[in-house]
Amino acid sequence: MDVLRFITAGSIDDGKSTLIGRLLLDTGNIKSDILESVKEDNDDVNLAFITDGLRAERQAGITIDVAYKYFTTPNRKFIITDAPGHFQYTKNLVTGASGVDAMIILIDATIGISSQTRRHSMVASFLGIRNIVVAINKMDVSGYDQSVYNSIKNSYSEIAIRLNLDQVTYIPISALKGDNVTRHSYHMPWYTGPALLQFLEACKPEIKADDGRLSVTVQYVAGNNIFGRLVSGTIKRGQNVVVYPGRITSIVKEIINNYIIVEEAFTGHDICVQLELQGTLMRGATITGIGEGPEYSNEFEADLCWLDELSEVVLNRDYILRIGANEVVSQVKEIISKRYIETLGYSNDQKSVSVNEFARVIIHTSSNIAYDNYSQVHETGRGILIDITTNNTSGALIIR
Amino acid sequence: MNHLDALESEAIYILREVAGQFKNPVLLFSGGKDSTLLIHLALKAFYPLPLPFAVMHIDTGHNFEEALTFRDELVKKYNLRLIVRKVEDTIRLKNLEEPGGKFPSRNALQSYTLLDAISEFQFDAIIGGGRRDEEKARAKERIFSVRDSSGAWLPHNQRPELWDLYNGHISAGEQIRVFPISNWSELDVWQYIRREKIELPSLYFAHERTCIRFNSRLVAMSDYIVPDAEDVIITTSVRYRTVGDMTCTAAVQSTAQTIEEVIDEIEQSALSERGETRMDDQISDAGMEDRKLKGYF
Ligand SMILES: Nc1nc2c(ncn2[C@@H]2O[C@H](COP(=O)(O)OP(=O)(O)O)[C@@H](O)[C@H]2O)c(=O)[nH]1
Repeated sequence: MDVLRFITAGSIDDGKSTLIGRLLLDTGNIKSDILESVKEDNDDVNLAFITDGLRAERQAGITIDVAYKYFTTPNRKFIITDAPGHFQYTKNLVTGASGVDAMIILIDATIGISSQTRRHSMVASFLGIRNIVVAINKMDVSGYDQSVYNSIKNSYSEIAIRLNLDQVTYIPISALKGDNVTRHSYHMPWYTGPALLQFLEACKPEIKADDGRLSVTVQYVAGNNIFGRLVSGTIKRGQNVVVYPGRITSIVKEIINNYIIVEEAFTGHDICVQLELQGTLMRGATITGIGEGPEYSNEFEADLCWLDELSEVVLNRDYILRIGANEVVSQVKEIISKRYIETLGYSNDQKSVSVNEFARVIIHTSSNIAYDNYSQVHETGRGILIDITTNNTSGALIIR
Repeated sequence: MNHLDALESEAIYILREVAGQFKNPVLLFSGGKDSTLLIHLALKAFYPLPLPFAVMHIDTGHNFEEALTFRDELVKKYNLRLIVRKVEDTIRLKNLEEPGGKFPSRNALQSYTLLDAISEFQFDAIIGGGRRDEEKARAKERIFSVRDSSGAWLPHNQRPELWDLYNGHISAGEQIRVFPISNWSELDVWQYIRREKIELPSLYFAHERTCIRFNSRLVAMSDYIVPDAEDVIITTSVRYRTVGDMTCTAAVQSTAQTIEEVIDEIEQSALSERGETRMDDQISDAGMEDRKLKGYF
């Protein structure tokens, strides 16, 4: 059994909460006491209440923050993030969507594509989410009509092209009635693709390849013991390595994984290593292979999504940039272009970037920092900007 | 990657983040299965070194004897640094009212003792065994959850938390609650305990116990509860799914004596873990949410 993380995105009332409730219910993952607690006065189950957890959310009838839900089928553990639909909570959507293997974008068949659809797709594109499902919901109210499905599919494919989303699967569903959610719908014989659950069971998680370049994120150092995660590649005892910052060469003396001294460790392992090294190394260091470098500089271009509603990006102001476990003082030096939801195109508008906006920027750091292109090593190709006065996580960066 | 490996790896990574980012963390340990799991994950995370932080028990005084014995044995076996702070002392010092009634639970009062201990020791990160699938309010909490100076959770003002970049920057007086096993289900916990051969208090397996039946739940007879004349007292084979304050934790009827049998029972159970065993969540639909606003775990 492996793990698949996915997120559901949609505008308010598109049926996200109902869909999640339906998935949990139909896969037998809701216990009877929980089911009791979401019954309404007339004894109908309100599927949406299974996820709308906080009182304030129930009162407002909307999801405000990300809720995590879990279900298992015989083959997989699924981690669902239920993210809010409202545009003012896009930052919460970005939180929920970071690190997922798939995104389900819900569209209400009776309404069609909205500006929220474009926004959610933009988030998927920004984060580089590979597997996208466009779930066209409420097909029951649309007479299970194929032409409704086709017309939404055609319009969405233009968005997909503009945003370089190349793997989009379109599924007509009714979250309320259960059509094409966990099983094929008799109401839509014209649809021959997978039901949603079938898709999720077959969906490939982001695979980490052991043959990638070597990169260890150093999280904690105590004496000679260096604790960190091998985020990419393979590390071998006796191997020559280069340590950043400083670009210092060294040799791997010992590797411990899972209580055992090992000869080599692989991608994803949380290891403790000792190096043949003069002086000590600190949290935030990166251990890499010889000659396959990460980039190492004090300036780079990146895609930025701003998450801070209290302040917009201030050029040349100090922020803490964090990549992996490494933190350095940095500034946004230049806004190259901004990308707007309405057009999905870039514009040379260099006005500041405010909450929920996307831009291409130049980042300057106070000292050299090691990083990769996101496509090469995810963990060292992405970062956050932290506000030094409020400590808030203010921006998300992807280096590409 | 196998789901238990993935969950373990996430937890180890989070525990190492805590050690790397904070000056003075502490791990909350009650002798229950989730906090015992946390200790084992931490032992693995920092091997070959000992745990780089202390463990702390907020003791309600309404303990299961078995959990206390287990706590002390584990502390001894792994040479842990244990801090115990008692709710009883807080009640005396702060002149708080002892809860009354049939089940006088000190569960809610734990928050006071916890907050006092946090300021006494100046802890900046408090590691807890909360899991998101336990309860609706927990389902919304970040892995690194910032609490203000009064310990309160601010559910509508949570920081963005992206990928595994857990932001531990805080201002003086603030603290971070850390939940390394957020993404584990009850079943995951048991499967991992089986795989890693982790020992648990005997409470988690079937044993004979004298209980009273209350609202279709079984509450152990003890000096801490006040039964009425009409209460039905029965002695039967039970086990615990969660272990907390004796006055608000219910047992479940069971004959499961091995981990295998427990796992089978959980898979077949029609009720959720907290629903079946926690009386404090039953008070209102937002019981947990309210407690969290006041500094609860
Ligand atoms: N007819 C119909 N109604 C639906 C369907 N899915 C959701 N709804 C209804 O749409 C409303 C909003 O659903 P909800 O799940 O709360 O939407 P959310 O805001 O996206 O979480 C509720 O009244 C649902 O019962 C569907 O497939 N068919």
